[in-house]
Amino acid sequence: MNFDVTDTLYVALAAYALGTLTVLTSLIVRSMRLQYAALLLMIAGFAVHTFWIGTICVRTGHPPLTNLPESAAFLAWTIFAVELVLWIRYRVYAAAFFVYPLVLLLLTLTAVVGQPYRILDPDLQSTLFTAHIFLTTVGVAGLLIGLAFMILANVQDQALRSKKRGPLWKWTPSLNVCKVVSYRSLAIGFSVYTIGLITGVMWSYRTTAGFMDLRVKQVGAVVAWMLFAALLQTYISGAMSSRRTIYISAGAFVAIIVSILGIART
Amino acid sequence: MPLILVGLNHRTAPVEVRERLSVPEQKLPEVVRTLQGLDGVDGAVVVSTCNRVEAVVSSRTENVIETVVDWLSEQGGSDRAELENHLYILRHTDVVKHLFRVAAGLDSMIIGEPQIGGQVRSAFQTAHDLGALDTLLQQVFAQTMRVAKKVRTDTAIGEHAVSVPYAAVELAKKIFGDLEGLQVLLLGAGDMGELTAEHLHKQSVKQVFVANRSYNRAVELARRFEGSAVQFDAIDEHLAACDIVIASTSAPHYVIEPDQVERALAARRRRSLFFIDLSVPRNINPAVARIDGAYLYNVDDLQMVADANLELRQRKAGAAEQIVTREVEDFRRRLVAQDAVPTIVELQQRLEDIRSAELEKCLRKVGPITAEQREAIDMLTTQMVNKILHYPILQLKDAGEEGQERESLRKTIRKIFGLRS
Repeated sequence: MNFDVTDTLYVALAAYALGTLTVLTSLIVRSMRLQYAALLLMIAGFAVHTFWIGTICVRTGHPPLTNLPESAAFLAWTIFAVELVLWIRYRVYAAAFFVYPLVLLLLTLTAVVGQPYRILDPDLQSTLFTAHIFLTTVGVAGLLIGLAFMILANVQDQALRSKKRGPLWKWTPSLNVCKVVSYRSLAIGFSVYTIGLITGVMWSYRTTAGFMDLRVKQVGAVVAWMLFAALLQTYISGAMSSRRTIYISAGAFVAIIVSILGIART
Repeated sequence: MPLILVGLNHRTAPVEVRERLSVPEQKLPEVVRTLQGLDGVDGAVVVSTCNRVEAVVSSRTENVIETVVDWLSEQGGSDRAELENHLYILRHTDVVKHLFRVAAGLDSMIIGEPQIGGQVRSAFQTAHDLGALDTLLQQVFAQTMRVAKKVRTDTAIGEHAVSVPYAAVELAKKIFGDLEGLQVLLLGAGDMGELTAEHLHKQSVKQVFVANRSYNRAVELARRFEGSAVQFDAIDEHLAACDIVIASTSAPHYVIEPDQVERALAARRRRSLFFIDLSVPRNINPAVARIDGAYLYNVDDLQMVADANLELRQRKAGAAEQIVTREVEDFRRRLVAQDAVPTIVELQQRLEDIRSAELEKCLRKVGPITAEQREAIDMLTTQMVNKILHYPILQLKDAGEEGQERESLRKTIRKIFGLRS
């Protein structure tokens, strides 16, 4: 059996799977040690994942962003990188219960779809295209992290209101931290995502003389953009814990996933 | 392990007895010196808190117990017979176990309370500074502090608040995170409200505003928290600026209504507002709890939080007791092994002397042999001696709980092998 360095993706996937399993176990048995063990496994996976991305960059001469598996892998990498920064800054343990499975899911998508990484078509070899893919991916990572913290903020709000401690009480930081991180992630993610979409439209106009052609990923991206804009508005108006916000968040999440899956139909 | 502890605590003695024996911090060195000066006392420590007074001594004889009881009764100016009704006397391993439990907060009135660890440390430190700790008590001190830390780290027994004011502070932290920079509004001058405001003040909140029907009382309280007094009629203006509102007035009606809260939240752009209603009858309309961004806890809610935390601590106490039991056994084994070292060393030396002498005699009779042959015989005899010594040494190191049993074993071994000591 030949082992290619790109197969390290499966090593990263295995570490993420173990990390996710461990963090979910820590939730059941309420063990802080297991939380730390899960974090270490995820960091190990992240290191291998970084190596894999580096290898693809060296082989193809561009970031791994040209198709669904590559984009999903890069998105997973970015999400975990952001999560790690937030963990160091705020020691938010509860976010792991949402973020680790999401990272695992995205990398599984990469492994299952199994499209090999590829050398970019000459049409796609433009700075504008690379900037479009890079910015939308980073933007989406910010938005998804923002959604995860928004869920935490709602869980915390409900626990404080009902005066009953749920299973996440011990792991969740203060309501204020959840709100601040959620708002900042959404605001930064939304700005970057918007610039990413604009560069995409510009690139599309340059190559096809049209702004967009209503493919699934484009419709999904625009719907997601509108829903995230509405979500930010609820934050700014101070109505973030309303039922409407929950519906908008769910819709925005679905739209983002649809647009990611839509990349495969390009 | 020649350790003795004589003392009383909140479970064995009422406050009238405890207060007579209690030793003020500044008098502690003098008291330790007198205890150490008693006949038969090698090392001495006095642990004195509001809930306990305990004299710990190391001594070669148990007769010292009577002397310590007399000393305690003299210290407290109490009748000895009456005092004896409240005393407990612990010996050897039980002393170690007791000290481990006390320092870990397992013997406290409120399980897991953190202050006791510092109080025990301070008691031993005072004795140490006076040179009143012998080797054994120094070892007990170091191990007690290690076990207390281990219990707190491994079980997190002291993590949650078990009093109403602390529960309020804990909840405030769960809402706002860091309390530094927050503003607090205290309505009324009830005791519980005052205590809660004091705890919040210690958390470095930015400002405490005090409103009371009697403005002079408000000024007086505000001075205590380095805050500002406000007119009771002007609380609306301060609601929007404050993050935490503590209501503790004797008013028989609501002093905060939902419309006031709605206005305040709109002015602060829906930033969270935490209401702590410690009054009975309640001062804050319960409908406030339904407003987005407002969190309302009354005295029963806070008591429930404190009770739940206490229950949690009690559950954790089981795990803590297991740690203590394990650590006591480890410590006992270590001391026994340490105690047996002189006998073991002498025993090894004795057998080595016999071996060397007999080997030399034998070699003289045999005549010249090669270096390899000599080395082989040397190794054979050394291994034989080591095998013979293996079980006696094991027994000496691992003798049972009873000091008498250990001493008898040591005597027997000394007799059999003709050891001098």
